[in-house]
Amino acid sequence: MRYWLRVYRVHLRVAWALMMQYRFSTLIWAVWGFVGPLISLAVWTAATQARGSGVSGNGQRFDQADFAAYFLVFMIFGHLTMSWDAFEFAYRVRTGSLSPQLLRPLHPIHADASFNVGFKALTTALLLPAWLVLFVVLHPAPPPSYANVALAAPALVLAGITRYIWQYALAAIAFWTTRVDAINQLYYVLDSFLAGRIAPIALMPLWLGLLARYTPFYGMGAFPVEIALGRVSLPAAALGLISQMFWLAAGIVVFRLVWAAGVKQYSAVGA
Amino acid sequence: MDEPRVAPATTLRSRFAGVAGAIRYARIVTVFYRTSIQAEMEYRADFFARVLASLLGLLTTIGSLSIAYSYTDNLKGWTFSEAMVLLSVYYLMDGLIEMLIGPNMRQITSQVREGTLDFVLLKPLDAQFMASFRSLNVWRAASAVIGLGLSVYSIGRLSIGAGLLQAVSFAATLAAGLTIIYSFWLFLVTLTFWFVRVDNIEQIVWQAFEAGRYPVEIYPRWLQGTLTYAIPVAFVITVPARALAGRLTGMTVLVALILAACMLALVTLFWRVGLRNYTGASA
Repeated sequence: MRYWLRVYRVHLRVAWALMMQYRFSTLIWAVWGFVGPLISLAVWTAATQARGSGVSGNGQRFDQADFAAYFLVFMIFGHLTMSWDAFEFAYRVRTGSLSPQLLRPLHPIHADASFNVGFKALTTALLLPAWLVLFVVLHPAPPPSYANVALAAPALVLAGITRYIWQYALAAIAFWTTRVDAINQLYYVLDSFLAGRIAPIALMPLWLGLLARYTPFYGMGAFPVEIALGRVSLPAAALGLISQMFWLAAGIVVFRLVWAAGVKQYSAVGA
Repeated sequence: MDEPRVAPATTLRSRFAGVAGAIRYARIVTVFYRTSIQAEMEYRADFFARVLASLLGLLTTIGSLSIAYSYTDNLKGWTFSEAMVLLSVYYLMDGLIEMLIGPNMRQITSQVREGTLDFVLLKPLDAQFMASFRSLNVWRAASAVIGLGLSVYSIGRLSIGAGLLQAVSFAATLAAGLTIIYSFWLFLVTLTFWFVRVDNIEQIVWQAFEAGRYPVEIYPRWLQGTLTYAIPVAFVITVPARALAGRLTGMTVLVALILAACMLALVTLFWRVGLRNYTGASA
């Protein structure tokens, strides 16, 4: 345990130094997190205005302020749980810059995870004022109680770790093909629908909502948001947490298998 | 060999004005594009990966729109079919920009940083012309092909019939849109002469461009203004889409054309000022 604390402390310090050096570009990349939720909010705002009333589906009701709350919380939670390794990793395989990392006595996932945490710490500090402004401007509906927001914390942490491990498993596909654009795009499509990014899951067609609940995407996306907004009953929340833990365990197994097979396959293209 | 004859740079301006000059430049573009395509033939599988990626992106937007339209039949004056026309123009533009403009602009940025712009300046050609038409990324046309297919399909659904006037105004606004985005991007690239690291600014443009998948009318007023005048996404996507859907006045076509001409003139001027600031390799 002491060993791992030291490993992560050193990695975090390196990541932090790197990121401070390029803080402007780091911030610009982080701004991508605003684009999706704000566009979705604009679409649903236009829809509620066209109807002149809120939208209900599958026992849940959303009016203007509810949509604002949903997409704003999703924006922040999405930022805290995001990972981009699938995009980065293929580049490293293609250029061969992965080779020196594989020679180290430590799995590269640890350095990358530290980088991920460092990125979020820095950008969260930088984006906080912007989030506050959005909350003031967009008048989101307040959560039924702030205890809900606290309850969302464990689900949020699980969501972040699960997403990270699944993304890293996906990234390892680059060992077989260096053209991963289409695969990443497929992940993006599934994530947009099944994680509830483009619309609250209750408003989607029934079959899509069911599909979402039986895939890891719901737990990695909308689930913590719905807890924070008090839209999940207590039994459903408990069930959701169990399902999150199941998908995390499954992710670790899949990641280990894919990685072990992939490393054998790796031939350092750029070498 | 049909390589163009080399002319001294001093006589170039007068030549460019004449018909002979125009033909000469057209022939040079042909050579540039032909060599680019020959090089790209090496990466044929890229095309299918691009088509697949674009189709998946399209699926997301269509899905998102159809979920929203299942609760209403009209978003700020746009029906579902009209929103599809807009989406087709988005993909058409995305493909054309990535094929014709993107590769050249990215090349200039790295050339200025590394000092290899010297080789462009030494050629007996107008530097802006050479820098803007040197390469063509033919496989990025994948989105344009998808956009074209979707536009034919969605125009059919609109059942408005494709009139000649509509076709002319669509072509005019499309050309204006391409010129506007070219001018805007070249403006950003020209900033490289002063601030070496600006390639991040490209990200801001794409973030704004992403918003153009949907009609600008759905956004709040201040954002509409930004997307129309600061980062002119509206003129690049929404205006041609309205032309295609037959919902455009002649006045808007005229405004788009004038704006394109002004931006092109201004950016050409700015480029010349920037060029004077260029200090070359290892300086």
